[in-house]
Amino acid sequence: MDYNIALVGNPNVGKTSVYNKITHSFEHVGNWHGVTVEAVSKDILFEHRRITVCDLPGLYSLTVYSPEEGVSRDAVCAGDHQAIIDVCDVNDLSRNLYLTLQLLEVGAPVVLTLNMMDELSRRGQVVNYRKLEAALGLPVVPMSTKRHSEVHILLSVTVDYIEHSRHKRRELPYLKKLPTEQIKTIIEKNAEKAGIDLLYAAVKVMEDDSYVLEKLALSEEQKAGIAALGEGLQDKLAAVRYEYIDKIMDGVIMSSVADEHHEMHEHYVHDVPLTQSEREEAEKRGDEEELKHIRLHGKIKKNEDLKRRGFSGADRIFLNKYLALPLFFVIMLAVFFVTFGDYMPGYWMKTGLEWIFDNALHDPVEKGLTNVGAWNWVTGLVTDGIIDGLGGVLVFLPQIVLMFLFLALLEDSGYISRVAFMTDGLFRKIGLSGRSVFTMLMGFGCSATAVLTSRGMEDEKMRKKTVMLTPFMSCSARFPVYSAICAAYFASGKAFVIFGMYILGAAIALVYAAVLNKIKKFKSGEMSFIMEMPPYRIPTVTRVFQILWHNAKAFVIRVGTVVFAINIIVWLLSSFGVGTVDGKTVFGYCGDVQVKSFLEYFASAIAPVFAPLGFGGGEHGWQAVTALLSGLAAKEVVLSSMESFGGVDVIFGSNYCAALSFVVFTLLYVPCIATLTAIKKEAGWKWMLGGAALQLITAYVVALIFYWMGILFVYNAGAAVSIIIVLAVAAIVAAVVTHVIRTRNVCIGCPGAGSCGGSCGRKRKK
Amino acid sequence: MTLMHAESDRIYRIVSVSGDGDRHRRLLDMGFTPGSEIYVAGYAPFGGTVLVSLRGFSVALRENAADLINVECADGL
Repeated sequence: MDYNIALVGNPNVGKTSVYNKITHSFEHVGNWHGVTVEAVSKDILFEHRRITVCDLPGLYSLTVYSPEEGVSRDAVCAGDHQAIIDVCDVNDLSRNLYLTLQLLEVGAPVVLTLNMMDELSRRGQVVNYRKLEAALGLPVVPMSTKRHSEVHILLSVTVDYIEHSRHKRRELPYLKKLPTEQIKTIIEKNAEKAGIDLLYAAVKVMEDDSYVLEKLALSEEQKAGIAALGEGLQDKLAAVRYEYIDKIMDGVIMSSVADEHHEMHEHYVHDVPLTQSEREEAEKRGDEEELKHIRLHGKIKKNEDLKRRGFSGADRIFLNKYLALPLFFVIMLAVFFVTFGDYMPGYWMKTGLEWIFDNALHDPVEKGLTNVGAWNWVTGLVTDGIIDGLGGVLVFLPQIVLMFLFLALLEDSGYISRVAFMTDGLFRKIGLSGRSVFTMLMGFGCSATAVLTSRGMEDEKMRKKTVMLTPFMSCSARFPVYSAICAAYFASGKAFVIFGMYILGAAIALVYAAVLNKIKKFKSGEMSFIMEMPPYRIPTVTRVFQILWHNAKAFVIRVGTVVFAINIIVWLLSSFGVGTVDGKTVFGYCGDVQVKSFLEYFASAIAPVFAPLGFGGGEHGWQAVTALLSGLAAKEVVLSSMESFGGVDVIFGSNYCAALSFVVFTLLYVPCIATLTAIKKEAGWKWMLGGAALQLITAYVVALIFYWMGILFVYNAGAAVSIIIVLAVAAIVAAVVTHVIRTRNVCIGCPGAGSCGGSCGRKRKK
Repeated sequence: MTLMHAESDRIYRIVSVSGDGDRHRRLLDMGFTPGSEIYVAGYAPFGGTVLVSLRGFSVALRENAADLINVECADGL
C-alpha cells in the first residue's frame, strides 16, 4: 500500500518542522517566510505502509504570486495525493483557515493540523477542535512538533482517513451567496476541455486568476456574461470566506481558567474600579493611589488587547523609530565580538584545538616518521601537507559553528524579519528590498546556500542583483584567512580589522547595488512589499544542538573531502618539480633537491600581475598566488595551502601592507565554485560571468588602493590620514548637497519620506 | 484616509481596499477585508513602510500596498 501525502499551509506555520519530525530529516527551517523554496519529498514506512511525504513551499491562497507558490498550487490541483495535510498555526487560525477553505473548494482530501499548540497554551488559551471538526467535516489534529507522540497521532489519523473515510466533497454554504452556479453553467465546457475542476474554475473566475483564465480561454461572449453578474466579485468572495470563518471560529478558541482567574484577581482581590463612572469619581476625589492603579490596569489591558491582535510588545523596542538601527548594530557587533574576539568562547576553543594539532599531532608524527626513516617527501606530505593544511582550517571549526549558531538564532527568534522591515526604506533607495537583507545576512554564513534563499523575491531583476552581490558578503570560509593573517601582522587591532573586512564587503555590495540601479537595464521594477512579521520565539535547546551538530558535521565533511583532496594536489604540485642541478635535468622532491616545483613555474608566470598589489613579487610571491588560485575550489583552501607552504609569516615576510592587501583581495575576489554554480542556477550564465568579472576587478582595484594607502601610511602617516579625512569630508558634503537638492520639494513630515509624490497631503517645503 | 496617513499606535477599521490585480487580491487573501480592525504599530525608520497587526498577526506593508487600504479611526479617540 503506497500513499502520497503532501504538507500544505501558510508560510511559516511549521510545515517543514512537521516534515522533519515525520521523516527524521534535517531540512532547513527558520522563523521567517519562504524558507522552503521547492518541493522536497521522502518515503517513510508507517505501520506497514509506504508513505511518500512531500513538503511544499508555503502559500496564502491558491491564486499565486511567485513561482514557488505555483509549485504548491500545482501539487494540490493535480490531485495525486491521497491526503493533504493542511498545517495551520493555531495562533493565527482565521487567516490559516482561509487557505483551508480554498483547498475544500478544489475538493482536496484535507486533514487539518493545528500546529504550535504549545504557544497557544502558553498564552493561556485552549482550543475546542471538535467544534471545528464538526463545522468543516474534516479530521482535525491539534499538535506541537515538540512532542513526537503527536506527530505519530497525525500520521495515524491521516492513514485512517485515507483508508476508512469515503472522501466526499463538502458543500460550502458561503458560495451560495455568490453567483457560483451561473458561472459554472457559463464555463462548464471550457473547464472540461482544460481539465480543470469546475467549482475550482468558477471560483478562480470570480477571483480573476490570470493562470486559470488563460487555461479556460473564454470567448468574449462568455466574458461579457460573467461581467454581467456583477462587479467586485473578488472582494465579495474574500468577504464571504472571512465571514464564514468568523462564524465557524466562534467559540473555538477560548481563554483557559488561568486567564479567567486573572480577570477575577483584577476585579475582586485588588478591587480595582474599572468602569468609566468609577474612574471619574476617583478623579474627582483626587485619589492619586487609585488613579495610578487604574492607569496600570489600563496599560495591561491595552497590551493584552494588542497581543490578541497580533502585536508583540518587544517590537516597541526593536522596531522603535530611533532605537531600531542602533540596536541592530549592537546585536551584530556582539555576535562578532563573542565569536571572533580575543578571550571569548570562540577564541578559547580555537586555542585549545591549535595546541592539540601542534603538540599532539604534528610533532609526534613528524618525530615518529623521521625515527623509522620514512622517505622525506612522505614525512613532508603527512606533516606539512595533511596535518598542517587541514589542522590550519579545522581549528576554526568552533568559531564558524558559533557564527552559524548566531545566524540561526537571529533567524529563529524572528529578528531577521524585523531587520528586513527596518532596512527596507534604505534598501529600496538602492533598488533592493528588505528581503535582500535575508539573503545578504545569510551570506555571512555561506555564500552558496545564501544565494539559494533569494528565491521568492518578487522582482526578477532585484533577485538577480541580490544573487550577484551576495558573494561580496564575507562568508565564514574566508574568515580563517583574516584571522591567521591578523594574528601574524595586526595582533593588536585584530578584531577591528576582521570586523572592518565584513563591513567593507557589505559596503561594496551596497555601493554596487546603488550604481546598478542608476543604470536603466538593471533598474528594479516597482515592488509591492507585503511581508509578514513572524512572532518572536525562543529557540529550543534541541534546536540549538541540532544547528551546532549539523553545521559542525557539514564543515568537517567539507574539510575531509574537498579541502583534503585539493590540499594534497596543491602540496604535490608544489613539492615536486624539475630543474637543472649541476648541469643535469632532475625530477624530485623540493625538500631533497634544489628544484623549482611545478606549481612555482605556473604561479610565477602569472604572479607579476599581482606585483602592484604587493604580494605577487619576490621569492614567495608565487605561493600567495597559488593560495588564491586553489581558493577557487573552496575558500578554506586559501589558508590550508598557505599553511602547507610554511605559514603566512613566511609568505609575506615583513610586508604588512602586502598582507593587508592580500586579506582585502581574499574578501573580494571570485567566490568558490559551489557559489558560482548556485549563481548560475539562480540567475543564469550571464549574471554568473558578469558577477565573477565584477568581483575580480573590484578585488584588484580595492586591494591596490589598500596597498598603496598602506605604504603611504607607513612612510608618511600624516599624509595618509589627511587624504582619508579630505575624502570623507568631500563625501559628506556631496551627500548633503545632493540630499538638499533632492528634498527641495518634499512634504514636511511625509511618512513616505518624500516618495509619496505629494499624495500624503502634507505641506511642501518651499 | 489611506493606511499610509494613519497615525502610529492607533486602531483603525478598514473601509475599502482599492486597486485591482494581484496586489489587491493578495491584500484580501491576507485578511484585509472591509470591516476588519487593524492596529497601526508604527513606521520604518526610513519611512515608506508601515507595520500593522490584524487578526492575530503582524505584517509590514510598503506604501504602494498601504495606499490601497482606506481606513477610518476605530479607537474612539
